[in-house]
Order: sequence, then C-alpha cells, then structure tokens
Amino acid sequence: MSSLNVVASTPLLITAGAATAAFTAGLLPGRTTRRHGPALVGIAGIVAAMVMSVVLWDDRLEAFGGGLRADRFSALMNLIFLSAALLTILLAWREPAAVDRRGEYVGLILVSATGMMLVAGAGDLITIFLGIEVLSVSLYVLCALEVWREKSLESGLKYLITGAVGAAVLLYGLTLLFGATGSTSLSAIGDQLRGTAFTDEPLVIAAMALIAAGLAFKASAAPFHMWTPDVYEGAPTTVTAFMSTATKAAAFAAFLRIFSGVMPDLQADWSIAIGAIAVASIAVGNIAALVQTNMKRMLAYSSVAQAGYLLIGVAVGSIRGAEATLFYLLAYGAMTMAAFAIVIIREREVEDGDTLGALDGYGRARPVLGAVMTVAMLSLAGFPPLSGFIGKFLLFGSALEADMAWLAVAGAVGSMISLGYYLRVVTVMWAPGPEGGPRKILPVPGPVGLATLASGLGVIAISLMASPLLDACRGAAQSLLAP
Amino acid sequence: MSLASLAPLVDAAAVGDPQEGVPLALYLAVSGGLFLLGLLGVLTRRNPLLLFLAVELLLNSANLALVGFSRYWNVTDGHVFALVVMVVAAAEVVIGLGLVVAVFRQRLALDVDQMSSMKG
Repeated sequence: MSSLNVVASTPLLITAGAATAAFTAGLLPGRTTRRHGPALVGIAGIVAAMVMSVVLWDDRLEAFGGGLRADRFSALMNLIFLSAALLTILLAWREPAAVDRRGEYVGLILVSATGMMLVAGAGDLITIFLGIEVLSVSLYVLCALEVWREKSLESGLKYLITGAVGAAVLLYGLTLLFGATGSTSLSAIGDQLRGTAFTDEPLVIAAMALIAAGLAFKASAAPFHMWTPDVYEGAPTTVTAFMSTATKAAAFAAFLRIFSGVMPDLQADWSIAIGAIAVASIAVGNIAALVQTNMKRMLAYSSVAQAGYLLIGVAVGSIRGAEATLFYLLAYGAMTMAAFAIVIIREREVEDGDTLGALDGYGRARPVLGAVMTVAMLSLAGFPPLSGFIGKFLLFGSALEADMAWLAVAGAVGSMISLGYYLRVVTVMWAPGPEGGPRKILPVPGPVGLATLASGLGVIAISLMASPLLDACRGAAQSLLAP
Repeated sequence: MSLASLAPLVDAAAVGDPQEGVPLALYLAVSGGLFLLGLLGVLTRRNPLLLFLAVELLLNSANLALVGFSRYWNVTDGHVFALVVMVVAAAEVVIGLGLVVAVFRQRLALDVDQMSSMKG
C-alpha cells in the first residue's frame, strides 16, 4: 500500500518535467530558440499530461503512500488546469513580459499548474498545503513579471501578502484537523470523523472555519475577496486570465476534497457557513461589478460573483451539487478565458485597451472577436442555451433538491443583477462607435487568434456536448463522494 | 499509511509518554497566542518587511501546534508537516524579498498604504 506507484502521478510528473525543460530552454543560446523553445516544450508537455490524464480516467490509484490520488475527480480537474495553461501560453505569444522571458513565463505557468494538480489529487493534508503553496508562489512571481510597470509590482506584492495570510489561515485549519484526528491522511481523517456530531469536537469546528476562510481567500469569495480587483488589474492580463480560471478551479477542488470528500457527515454544520460565503460573494461581486469601467476590474468582481454560484454546489454537499460545480467550472473556464482573450487582443492595440471605452464599436470592426465576446458575456450572464445557463440551472436545481432554496433564490437574484454589466459590454461592442471606426487595429497573431476562437467555440461546444460532459462530471463527483 | 510514514528519521522525536512533560494545552495556548499576534501584525503593520515577519509568526504558530499534536498522538505526521511548512515559508520569503527589492529599485515607497495606484 505504501508504495511509490509512479504511474498514478504521471500527469503531475510530466508537467513538472516540462516546466524544468522550459526553464532550461529559456537559457539556451540563439534568440529564436529562447523565444519559441520554451513555449513548444511547454505545449508538448501539456498535451502529454492531458493524454495521461485521459488514460488514467478509469483507474483508482494511489501514489507516494497515499499522498496523491489518481481518480476521475483528479483527472477531470487536471484537464481543466492543463487546458487553461495551454490557452494562457498561446494568448501570451506576443505579450512583452512573456516574449523577453519566455522560459520563466512558460515554466512558472507549468509549475503553477503542477501545484493545482497536487491539490486536485491530494490524499493527504500535507499535499493540499504543498499544492496550494506551489501554485500561489509561482503566481506571485508571474503577477510581478512586468517589473518595469508599477502596477504589476504592486499587484504581485499585494497578492503575496494576502495570499500568504490566506495560506497561513488554511494551514492553521489543517493543523487543527490533524490535531483532532491524529492523522494527516484524508482517508484516515474521513474514517475518524464518520458519524461525528457537530458539538463533539470544538477543534473540528475551528478547523472547518479556518479551512473555509483560507480557501475562500484563494477562490476570491467574499468577504475574503478584497485583493482580487487590484491584483487582477495590475497583473499581466494573460496571468489574470490564468488566475481567474485555473486558480479558482484549484480552490474549488480543495473545497470539494476537504468538505464533501472528508466530512460528509458534518455537512449539516458546514453547509450553512459555506452557503453564507456564497450569498455574500454573489451580492458583493454583482453589485460592485455594476460600477466598473475597467474590463479587468469588472471581470474580477464578476469572478467573485461566479465563485458564489460555484460555492452553492459545494454547500449542498451532495453528488448532484459536486457534479454541478464541476460542470460550471468547465463552462466558467471557457467563458472567462474568451472574455479575457478579447481584452488581451485590445490591450496590444491601444494603451487603455483594458477599459470598456476601448471596446466602443469594436464588434462592428471585428465581427468574429465581437461574436466571441458576446457569446462569453451572454454565457456568463446565464442566457439559455449557452453553457453558463446549463451550469447555473444545475447548481440552483441541486440547491432546491437539498431544501436550500434560499441559495437558489440568491443565485437567481444575483444573475438578474449581473445582466446589468454583462449586457453593457455587449451593447458597447456593437454600438456605432466613434467616427471612422475604433482607434488603431492591429492584425491578431496566429496563436492568440487560435486560443481566442478555441475558448469562444468551447463555450458553445460545452453546451452542445452537455450530456456526455455531465456524465464525466458525475463520474468525477462519485469518485469523490462515494468511495 | 500516510505520506509522513515514509520518514522514520523523525520517529526519535516522538518517543515517550504523552502524559509526561509539558501538556498539550500549553503548547496550544502559546501557539494560539502567536497566531493572534501574527494576525494583529498583519492588520496593523504597513511596511512589507514587517508584514512578512507577521506572516512568519502565523506559519510558525501552526508549526508549534503541529509538533505539539504530533507528540500528543505519538505519530510523526506532524513533524513532517512542520518541516514542509518551513521549506514553504522560506520560499515565500525569498519571493517576498525579491519583490521588495524590485519595488525599491523602482523607487516606490515601501508602505502598503501608499500602494494605491488602482482604485474602484
């Protein structure tokens, strides 16, 4: 039982290996090698790791003496992280921070993805903490990668300080959970806590509160979201796109692993707390997003609100809830990536490309990009039949099924408010715009255009293939909740 | 079997009767006090270097609790966890100091209250 079992950890090892290779390729002589070598190595590694994740889909393996698991849940989450990393590397093809330091950029994105995969496959408290830290520490550097820009440095430092506090709170919670049960192994803790009632263990209550707070920091859920707008605005936009999709998914992987996976019997106790965080996030995110004029800040508050919707599925605690959260993570990743892709393209063209005003009339000048943004916004707002609607429908449905109608009501009200800012982007995009079309339009570099189209089509594809994807999500949720 | 059981090296630290010596409650009291001090520091300090100091306090309060619990349960998991935390804390501080140097070279003020170029 206590064996290394390297096969189970191949996706992780391939990603980490590709990161090392990318760092090295960034140091090789020759300008072209330095610029394109790391990206190609990174893409090859990501594809290989994706293939291995699919190969391992039906297995239930444990590696490193139970510290790491390979089940359907971790395989599905791995695919989300790896696709986000792949799209980020493509979107950053011409970004200044990424072009001069391609090795560091690609390497750090891959290291961060490795940390996320550690979290998703965690079978031990130590693995969860290590994964959260590996993903965060590499993101601190990525945020501050444009060292010549004041906002980038500010963003990196702010993320480091809040992220470190969040991680420390999470660590204290994990420590108390270890103290209450005497083991760091998730399955042993699960056995210990089976049948435990709320009032039995004050240590477990404190542990649950601290773990929820620490993970809410990482998922940027209110009231632990205050760093989100500043960090999202200051960081290079490709890094922001990666953070808001992959990091959020990793935080939810940890939420599901710890709360639904380890303490299912205590669900009645933690679901109220997590539900409260969800409602707070939906309220704060949607209302604050209404007044933003900067696209990155608007998407930051929108991501706070979306974290609230996702938490509904966690709070419900059932297989249905976990399934809905997983499906919504897929949809959310595609639509957020598509929205950020348009901002990235516009930012290359004009100085203030991240403001809403820069998109004035942009859809008429560039119908394809306008269509991608429109699909992303409508899906984020939850218009049927797009994937965002299916995800929200499942999330609210799972809340109703579990007799937590107040969560569904909060979510529905929040979605209505969100129409205000999502639809504003669509109207601005297709407005007549300034005389003679929008200022300055540059051709879109091939890889950037490819990634933009892929995420836009992804939003539509997820809604078209909803039933096979839902089967996959259900399999993942079952491997987590019904061992 | 947990990850920690791979490290028999730290077994030596965990021998002895848990009833003997300093009781667990005292370890936890000191650890909780350190954690609160760290939180207070994070909330009141404005210099990034002092903020990192406060974060170290938070992480090390967890370390103390980990080692205390580990002794109480007579297992080695907590010791291994504490070692991992130390490595992580070191990595975090390295990044933090690097960022502080970068901020200093841009001749920006080392005061998080003045870092407010972004608002909204």
